[in-house]
Amino acid sequence: MLDSSNGTQSDIQRLTRRLERERETRHKAEQIAEQGLRELYDKQRELEFLGLIAATANQSGSVFEVLGAALAHISQFAGCAASHVYLLAGRGSGQRLWPTGIWYASPHADLAGFQHATAQCVFTHGEGLPGLVWADTKPVWMEGLTENPGFLRREEAKKSGLRTAFAFPLLIDTEVVAVLEFFMEDRRAKDRALLLLMAQAGTQLGRVIERDRANDRLHDALHDVLTGLPNRANFLRRLDQAVTEQTLSGRPFCLLFIDLDHFKIVNDSLGHMAGDRLLIQVSARLAAALDEVQPGQALLARLGGDEFTILLHGVEDFGIGHAVCRRIHEAMRASFVIGEHDVFTTASIGIAASSASHGGAEAVLRNADLAMYHAKTCGKARTEIFDDAMHADAMRRITLEADLRAALRQGDFVLYYQPIISLADLSVVGFEALVRWQTAPGLLRLPGEFIELAEETGLIFPLGLWVLREACVQAQRWTQALGETDPADPAPTMSINLSARQFAQADLVEQIARILAETGVNPALIRLEITETVAMDDAARAIQVLTGLRELGVQISLDDFGTGFSSFSYLHRFPLQILKIDRSFVSRMDHNGESLNIVKTILLLARSLGMMVVAEGVETLREVKYLQEFGCDYCQGYYFEKPLPAQEAHQYLISNSISRRRVAA
Amino acid sequence: MKGIIFNLVEEVVVQHHGPNTWEDLLEAAGLDGTYTSLGNYDDAELLSLVRSAGEALALPDDAVLRWVGRRAMPIIVSRWPGFFSAHHTTLDFLRSLNSVIHPEVRKLYSGANCPHFGFKTREDGALLIGYNSARRLCGLAHGFIEGAADYYRERPALDHLECMHLGDPRCLIAVQASAA
Repeated sequence: MLDSSNGTQSDIQRLTRRLERERETRHKAEQIAEQGLRELYDKQRELEFLGLIAATANQSGSVFEVLGAALAHISQFAGCAASHVYLLAGRGSGQRLWPTGIWYASPHADLAGFQHATAQCVFTHGEGLPGLVWADTKPVWMEGLTENPGFLRREEAKKSGLRTAFAFPLLIDTEVVAVLEFFMEDRRAKDRALLLLMAQAGTQLGRVIERDRANDRLHDALHDVLTGLPNRANFLRRLDQAVTEQTLSGRPFCLLFIDLDHFKIVNDSLGHMAGDRLLIQVSARLAAALDEVQPGQALLARLGGDEFTILLHGVEDFGIGHAVCRRIHEAMRASFVIGEHDVFTTASIGIAASSASHGGAEAVLRNADLAMYHAKTCGKARTEIFDDAMHADAMRRITLEADLRAALRQGDFVLYYQPIISLADLSVVGFEALVRWQTAPGLLRLPGEFIELAEETGLIFPLGLWVLREACVQAQRWTQALGETDPADPAPTMSINLSARQFAQADLVEQIARILAETGVNPALIRLEITETVAMDDAARAIQVLTGLRELGVQISLDDFGTGFSSFSYLHRFPLQILKIDRSFVSRMDHNGESLNIVKTILLLARSLGMMVVAEGVETLREVKYLQEFGCDYCQGYYFEKPLPAQEAHQYLISNSISRRRVAA
Repeated sequence: MKGIIFNLVEEVVVQHHGPNTWEDLLEAAGLDGTYTSLGNYDDAELLSLVRSAGEALALPDDAVLRWVGRRAMPIIVSRWPGFFSAHHTTLDFLRSLNSVIHPEVRKLYSGANCPHFGFKTREDGALLIGYNSARRLCGLAHGFIEGAADYYRERPALDHLECMHLGDPRCLIAVQASAA
């Protein structure tokens, strides 16, 4: 019994132990299975999460939309009550992390105070949670927010019940471009696996910012920085498309080429900043002038400088184009307020239709440009439509330019000299050198036919230099010739015209000094003639250049006085010795009281400023008498002599130095 | 209902009343008792066990669940210590239920139908826990909370403000815990 009782007892104990072992084995098996399940679950969830983040990063939409969606996904994944994005902005040491207002907030969380505090916080490198992430360029976990001195918004976090946070950077390569921060309501220990996952998410989401930057660059490449309008490259591309479309489907278009009038004056007088502000305002008015055109029908662009273009799609005739131009001219009427100044500008517009050209985008643009140029030469502030005559005109100009170049090479230019007569004793005191183009033996072309083009093409530089040198050589010859015949008679002066572009050359003074030295002419005999517009365009520079020329010993003459601005207030500031009264006043003196008064006024003015006066275009004896009566010093004109070739001018000089003409009583 | 709950009930009963009592309960409830933690079992089996225990002890179901819940806590702590060591107070631990513990539970027991708790802090510092589940195991929750307070050496004070067993649409329990 005892044995059997002991045996039973022992059996029970053994069975109990076996049961215990079985239970332990079951628990171990369950634990192993649990561990495997947990890892599998975590892995799957991480993969799903990263897939979701990748899809979010690739979704279209603004940075704000995409990052907003990413915050929601991450917050839900990690069990966060709130999250927010900072973007890095600024340059160099001025870089800061700025709050963006992009938030995720779980529906039951009360975050108003915390969000408000966040909106006020801008973080420097290493400052607060976002700054720490920026400095470390890796995820950061922060526990016990409400008592953590490293967390600057702890008071507000306490009120909103936020206890734990983590944050991670968005990276482009290794550069931090944004920081995302996440808040939890519970106290949670650092989750390394989660932070590793967030580092991966940060790299994925960095692409969103990178893409946005690329978009910005793309936008910059296609838009004018100043006005935000499509730029030249963009416009030419769209114009190309319009040409292709017209070729393929016959959809017509028309092109407006707009150039501001007097823009250079604004730029020069008020500065480039003012010019820029004017361009911005003009672009806004141009855009407004397109209000009545159907959306998408018009493309406004800035080609550069003060040139704008408008492409009008689907426009067959010029009706809509003209209506737009009218509104543009109308829109330019009111002044533009630039700082304290009321600035006025107008627009010269050229229109070209797709139907008028068969040469592609470039031809249409060139045609519209030609029409605009025509509008300029026809008095500005107007619209001109391109026609074939303009094209013919342009072709003529191209031919003329080629001929001009050849003439320069071949030495086909000659100087003619018109005598300048003293009205006191009718003796010759000098000559004005005038250039002629000898296109064939006995065939001369006058400056009016080619100087403008020479100015535009820059051919004026070599031509102008040649004229200066040739006239100085001639003046020196006459000085020597006269010295031999009559040493008592002063040598004749030589007036030489300087064009606007010649005058604008930075080394003008040096050029003239060199010619004076090389020809050995007495500088006091040389009178350089400039026009009013040349002087007024940039008065400060003009004064500086003229002073430089005066220091060489030459005299300065203001040509065509009375036809331009005739700003008397400016006149005394320029170092001028001679005023030339324009021929239009002289020829009208006889039958126009106003012209007579203008001549008298100019003479009074010149005398009070100590200047000599030369009247141009004198053709009658009556005009000579008027001028003598008013006390004019000199004159030139057909009454005395037309411009003469050097040899004849020489003869004229000799004969008039010996026997002086008398004015009939 | 997940097998882990049955395992916990078994362990508690065996610990406090011996293995025979568990056998008696299974017999009374007409259950075979093969529960593995990863398995899934009919909710009704748990209710039968509770009812049998209640009859044997002359206690209402609710009281049986509270008793089981409170005494199951040390077993839970020993099996998953990390959930507890991350916190210092009962209320902090409770707040982590939705965001930490339930996700962990779901990792192991795919398809586990965890209750969602609504949390709110009352002005006097009490944590208001809203509970809404078709299983209506607020008694078990009550016991678990007391067991958690035991772990943190705090004195729990629970006030069952609303209860589904009394016809309310949800249970609302106010929890306060002070250092013991």
